[in-house]
Amino acid sequence: MKIGFIGLGIMGRPMVFNLLKGGHQLTVWARRAESMQPLLDAGARGAGNPAEVAQGNELVISMVADAPDVAEVMRGVAQGAAPGLVAVDMSTIAPAAARRIGVDLAAAGVDFMDAPVSGGEVGAIAGTLSIMAGGSEAAFARARPAFECMGKNIVHVGTSGAGQVAKAANQIVTGMGVLAVAEAFAFAAKNGVDRGKVREALLGGFAYSKILENHGQRMLDRNFKPGFKSWMHEKDLNIVMQTAHELGLCLPGSAATAQMFNAMVGSGMGEEDSIAVLKLLERLSGQQ
Amino acid sequence: MKVGFIGLGAMGRPMALHLQQAGHDLHVWARRPESAAGLPATVCATPAELGRRCAVVFTIITSSADVEAVALGADGLIEGMAPDSVLIDCSTIAPDAARRIATRLGERGIHMLDAPVSGGTQGAIDATLAIMAGGDAAVLERVRPLLDCLGKRIVHIGPNGAGQVAKACNQMIMVAAIEAAAEAMRLATASGVDCAKVKQALAGGSAASRVLDVMGERMVNRDFGAGIEARLHHKDFGLVLEAARKSGVPVPLTATVAQQLNALMAQGWGRDDTASLLRVLELN
Repeated sequence: MKIGFIGLGIMGRPMVFNLLKGGHQLTVWARRAESMQPLLDAGARGAGNPAEVAQGNELVISMVADAPDVAEVMRGVAQGAAPGLVAVDMSTIAPAAARRIGVDLAAAGVDFMDAPVSGGEVGAIAGTLSIMAGGSEAAFARARPAFECMGKNIVHVGTSGAGQVAKAANQIVTGMGVLAVAEAFAFAAKNGVDRGKVREALLGGFAYSKILENHGQRMLDRNFKPGFKSWMHEKDLNIVMQTAHELGLCLPGSAATAQMFNAMVGSGMGEEDSIAVLKLLERLSGQQ
Repeated sequence: MKVGFIGLGAMGRPMALHLQQAGHDLHVWARRPESAAGLPATVCATPAELGRRCAVVFTIITSSADVEAVALGADGLIEGMAPDSVLIDCSTIAPDAARRIATRLGERGIHMLDAPVSGGTQGAIDATLAIMAGGDAAVLERVRPLLDCLGKRIVHIGPNGAGQVAKACNQMIMVAAIEAAAEAMRLATASGVDCAKVKQALAGGSAASRVLDVMGERMVNRDFGAGIEARLHHKDFGLVLEAARKSGVPVPLTATVAQQLNALMAQGWGRDDTASLLRVLELN
């Protein structure tokens, strides 16, 4: 398939590599021209702007930072699009923003789908991302071969915005999950109990989770390298809290968790992995 | 003096009347003309026209976007106000938005003070509002006689935006106190104790506060008709949390209270008084 791709950062670049590996023809564009070079070397064609990315392609994918960036590049895509183009945004943005962009693009004859991912840089490189898609059946069918090059667990969640709702729900579970494991470890340590042993014991029971296993191990190793940066998790939890505010939805646990991530960013831990919340807990309880 | 006024709601209307009664020539603009009915004022067709006629203009409207539209939009104040005239914005909006608006007006030589108020409808009627001003201190001194018509405590907090920061702090403390009062009243009642007696006893001790006095009374009487509509506190908490996020300052209590306000909104009590936080606790 002829695919256009916009946004070649930590996530976007390996996703494009996997699409090339899958035999697709890629046209790429990124704001920073130097990030395009490795992909041009690998056989992708370069475009001068988002409109050019859309020209002559059946599918356009974006993977950028935030809602205003998505809106901007998609405005460009709409200018270059032939009727019937499917545009898929895989960034994490607010569901309401995704729906708005979907409506705007529909007016230009572009079928827009939100399809954020979970699995981080590791999943992007391995092609094992979880992909949660929101939009029409037709758009999902068109994008599916591309999704299969980039991800494993691919779910069409519902209509426009539903993918972003699923992603926000994912961030609620992972945000509170990381905090829960960190609190359990702080609890064990303050009681003079070996947290490694606690983790081992818990892995066999109902408290088992991937987060206890993977993030828990990294907490034990005090390996705070990202992974998933705290400031990005904070940004995603802010999407959750803003949506809750708009809807009149009471989320006390998410609110408390969002404030812990807010404190991490404020105290200079934004570039560290979200498991650095353990350090914040230790500081608050005088455990350092 | 010709004084302009935009925003003739529960707060704005009594404030505008105080200015008129102090002998000023009141000019108003209202999005819905009927809200200006019965006011001894000259009604202007657009904010720009109001701005052309008046050396000082007050605004007290709901959201950052509304203030930006009235001040900077098409037919906005910026198109009418003369250099060296003053916009006094008494709305509660984001500090960032206040700074943005001040900068844009400043490019035309128009002064702006962010001057949000506290004290509620009763404070507006009694002209006893607390006014927290951000902007040039000399400009505040020029318009202080006008502010004296509206409030008792007028404090210059700092440069533009500082008034809105103070107001955010005010809302954090006040609504958290309302939640604390609600939880205390709920605990008393659930424990089989007369919450009116508890409130009466507490009023004499260290827990005494204006919130316990006024909002506690409404809770005891189960009088949830507005005072200040809860939806406005809900809106303000959105601003506070956004400001906290931008500063990287953790506000765990504020965030929790915000969730109780979300629950209140979900019940459809947004136009009732914030004392309705008691009713949220009773949902459990």
